[in-house]
Amino acid sequence: MIEVSHLSKSYGVFQGGRGARGAQKAVDDLSFHVDRGEIVGFLGPNGAGKSTTLRILAGFLGASAGRVRIAGHDIAEEPQRARAQIGYMPELSPLYPEMRSGEYLMFRAELKLIPRAKRRAAVAKALSQARIEDVERVMIGHLSKGYRQRVGLADALLGSPPLLILDEPTAGLDPNQIREVRELIRGLGGEHTVFLSTHILPEVEATCERALVIAGGRLVAEGSIEALRARSRAPSARIVARGERAAIVAIATSVAGVNSASAEPATTGGVALTVDFAADGDGAAITEALVAALVGAGVGVREVASHGASLEQVFTELTDTRADAASAREPA
Amino acid sequence: MKGFWAIYKRELFALFVTPLAWVLITAFLVVQGIHFAILVTQFAGPADLTEGGPIPAFFGKTMLLYLPLLFVCPMLTMRVFAEERRSGTIEALLTAPVGTTGVVLAKYGAALTTFVVMWAPTVLYIALLARTGDVDWWAVGSSYLGIFGLGAGYLALGTMSSAMTESQLAAAMLSAMMLLAIFTVGLGEFAFEDGPARAICSYISPWAHMADFSAGIVDLRRLVLDATLVAVPLFTTVRTVDAWRWG
Repeated sequence: MIEVSHLSKSYGVFQGGRGARGAQKAVDDLSFHVDRGEIVGFLGPNGAGKSTTLRILAGFLGASAGRVRIAGHDIAEEPQRARAQIGYMPELSPLYPEMRSGEYLMFRAELKLIPRAKRRAAVAKALSQARIEDVERVMIGHLSKGYRQRVGLADALLGSPPLLILDEPTAGLDPNQIREVRELIRGLGGEHTVFLSTHILPEVEATCERALVIAGGRLVAEGSIEALRARSRAPSARIVARGERAAIVAIATSVAGVNSASAEPATTGGVALTVDFAADGDGAAITEALVAALVGAGVGVREVASHGASLEQVFTELTDTRADAASAREPA
Repeated sequence: MKGFWAIYKRELFALFVTPLAWVLITAFLVVQGIHFAILVTQFAGPADLTEGGPIPAFFGKTMLLYLPLLFVCPMLTMRVFAEERRSGTIEALLTAPVGTTGVVLAKYGAALTTFVVMWAPTVLYIALLARTGDVDWWAVGSSYLGIFGLGAGYLALGTMSSAMTESQLAAAMLSAMMLLAIFTVGLGEFAFEDGPARAICSYISPWAHMADFSAGIVDLRRLVLDATLVAVPLFTTVRTVDAWRWG
């Protein structure tokens, strides 16, 4: 449904305030594809190039290099056909404040070439899918942020386009609305292809089957949620103990399977020990041995917490290394 | 041209549902009403009719015709693109399956329609004159044609200015400056001796333009100039809107 190959986008020299340093690449050699019926999350920290990529996919911005094909139509060569396949919800969902929600959707339906006879039904369906029937006759300027966001979502859903591109669809919603929108998106899979961007991890875990992780304009990881989780590094443990700091570190490092250990005074009293396990070690067994060794040496163990492989950790690692590399390339 | 009607209707809606169009039309009609009253008072006394009667006077012999146009046209068009860019709604508009030409023409068309609506009540003045004396309806028709040609060009320049900036104020000022520049160059007609400089100034001059049309002279060269002043700015607007994508 979406095929992206070697996509790059740089903004002009004067835009972005980088002066003589030359063009800044917002998106750098991005290649990926999304299959029909998939729900794919586009994940990355703020400023990673998510919105730029989505704007290119939706046909709002032109690419500096590379190709984008939407349902087989090249977005540069057949822009109107490609755009006709897409329901796009821009970030923050800007709308005309002087129109009523229903009027706005009727206008959008006409723009999206929905035949006159089907417009009313299409608008009614979108209103009910986004659960905003109650504000159909309210002026958009008078709506709360959450409602406006959902009018934008209804706009994207109008006419059931095969591909939905949603830029941070749950931004600005309250927890109940977030849950509703996520349910809605999950329900769209199969019939629609959904490509949504977010910087919130639970969102991807809750709605998507697959995720693309972008940082610094580059794709740093791609795969199912499980595959991404499996990419995490070896687990570690954090232990709060009572005793002498140097001795505790010495005991911890002597345990088989422990890679390194460091300690500092804990805020709750005692010593906070952070232990990194060897990459191929069995975290649970090492933790047991570690605690046994500490207790055996007369150290009082107060807390043990293991740091498993959360998606969050993977995310932090993936995007952090990229940030480090970027800052190393370009000294300030 | 896909999407033309949808956008055209929405533009008119946006103009007339917000106070902008009403304020501009009211202000314009107040000025034109005063203008007409002054002229009627003047021609009611012993008047020199060698330069034409009240109709040529109303359509271009006083600054009260040009001054409002120089300000009303930029304000009619200042928001068409600038507002959408500032608020971000342009993103939804340009990602719909519509062509840039359709978007530009629809927005321009709505401004032009408003311009026509703005002038429509002045027909009443002519009707009033017709009750007291003979009116040369051909001259009235050609006068309105001249006004329409002038306004069409001014609004196209305004549309172009609006596409060039995100600030409505900057857009209005930019187009007002352009219109003022055209008007000023046109005044060269009275400053230069006979020669190419005078010919050029006279060709560009809105004053000379209206002097012809209000006398019932429909000069094709003037209409060509008007058409050029519509086509070139609108073409530039289409290219400017396309250029945002590649910035």
